[in-house]
Amino acid sequence: MSAPGPALPVLSTERLTVRFDGKAVLKDVSLEIPFGQVVSIIGPAGSGKTTLLRSFNRMNELIPGAKTAGTVRFQGVDLYAADIDPAEVRRRIGMVFQKATLFPKSVFDNVAFGLRAKGVEGDLHDLVEEALTVVGLWSGGAEVLDARALDLTAGEQRRLSIARALALKPDCLLLDEPTAALDPAASAKVESIIHALRHECTIVLATSDHTQAGRLSDLTAYLDSGRLMEYGATQELFTNPRNERTESYLTGRLP
Amino acid sequence: MSESRGARAGVAIRGPIGAMGVAAALVTMAALILLAGVLLVEAREVLDWRFFLNPPSRVAAEGGVGPALAGSLWLTLIVAAIAVPLGVGTAVYLAEYAPPTRLVKAVESVLTNLAGVPSVVYGIAGLALFVRGPGLGPSILAGALTLTALTVPLVVVNCRKALQAVPDESRWAAFGLGASRWQVVRDQVLPAAAPDIVAGCCAALLRAVGAAAPLLMLGAVSFTTFVPGSPHDPLTALPTQIFAWAARPQEGFLALAAGASVALLLLMAAMHLVLFANRRRRKGTLT
Repeated sequence: MSAPGPALPVLSTERLTVRFDGKAVLKDVSLEIPFGQVVSIIGPAGSGKTTLLRSFNRMNELIPGAKTAGTVRFQGVDLYAADIDPAEVRRRIGMVFQKATLFPKSVFDNVAFGLRAKGVEGDLHDLVEEALTVVGLWSGGAEVLDARALDLTAGEQRRLSIARALALKPDCLLLDEPTAALDPAASAKVESIIHALRHECTIVLATSDHTQAGRLSDLTAYLDSGRLMEYGATQELFTNPRNERTESYLTGRLP
Repeated sequence: MSESRGARAGVAIRGPIGAMGVAAALVTMAALILLAGVLLVEAREVLDWRFFLNPPSRVAAEGGVGPALAGSLWLTLIVAAIAVPLGVGTAVYLAEYAPPTRLVKAVESVLTNLAGVPSVVYGIAGLALFVRGPGLGPSILAGALTLTALTVPLVVVNCRKALQAVPDESRWAAFGLGASRWQVVRDQVLPAAAPDIVAGCCAALLRAVGAAAPLLMLGAVSFTTFVPGSPHDPLTALPTQIFAWAARPQEGFLALAAGASVALLLLMAAMHLVLFANRRRRKGTLT
């Protein structure tokens, strides 16, 4: 990968507005995600966190009635330009959804899915095992590859869904509520994976647990009713929020 | 999953709602047994091996359903060969590819309405379009094409429901990994919807197999002495044969009608076996 300098944004939006059936869910959002950083998007339920995440890899257009205005750039390239293949976008900018939604197949087939869809030929074992190693599901035994994905525990399923996205070696990883509905032990494992992945790719995560944003991210964005209220270094935003709404949200006083 | 399903079934028997459910099930079962019993008693004198092979005869005791049974098999095969690929293909296009434009919505509602049109109306259309227009005559092919026109909307409606029942999350999971639309449909949506698609196609075919009215409109014969060997042979089928025999005043023909009904039910039961095998497979593969 030709690494852009740390100063260059990997992802950026300019006046991004997303409407579903005419109703604006994101309004005029402009922000830059710098290379190699972990960026958290926090905000109340319905504030547009997931929609912002999905606009980074063109997932919103799969929802009938969705309209995107403004620009989204990836390494300077307009992602919504006519000659851009959305499948290629989604390979470079991987996404892990809030619900793991594994395929009713083996662990191996789940991780190999993206590689096969891309047309990678030959033995995929090395690539699959590598991805499983990163998420701690590979211990050298072949039996895990043949295990049915839906037989795994909730925590393992979440980690498998991360491995599935990682197998494509994305430049950027989008994580939607990566620890939602997981017990503390499973959450801790997922968080340690995210922490370790910082060196592999740029990470954007949406979370309704702002303490998680505080633990994991370099930068934090606060979304409220589809507007970007505040965006900056996590420490700064948490200790000295400039926006009143941000402070209310962080201190739990949001009406 | 299977555990909780079992537990739910256990709970369902208790309480007034459960009792009503059991009562309803018993009544349905009793009706089915009664129906089969009446038919078998009525047909007791004609049912033997020869009955299934012999052609109809002026002498009631010698009559059989050979040609009609073969005609119904022909019809089923031709209708299935055309209606299933056409209907499933249309359903996949409408559910997975078509943009939600006004035209597409109009096509969808037309198909839904067509699926509810009484079968006799298809008979009139078939008479003009197939029997007279291209001069197919009252042949098995004309009957099959008419039944296909009746079956396709049903296949489309049933299969579209099956596809819509696949949660969007499974599509997104595959799209999110860089799959193309066709890969999503082939690898995720179709396998997940397959059991319901098979069930939907079978239900539509069963309606076609049981339809008498449109075939009567086309001019189905009920007195043919040879078993049809090609789609161009005269149209004959079990439902029209039953109708013809039941309409005859002479003694003995009612037993033949009952016997032909048994043959029709056996044919339908054979198609139901496909459904059962399919349901068992579904149980084996899911969760």
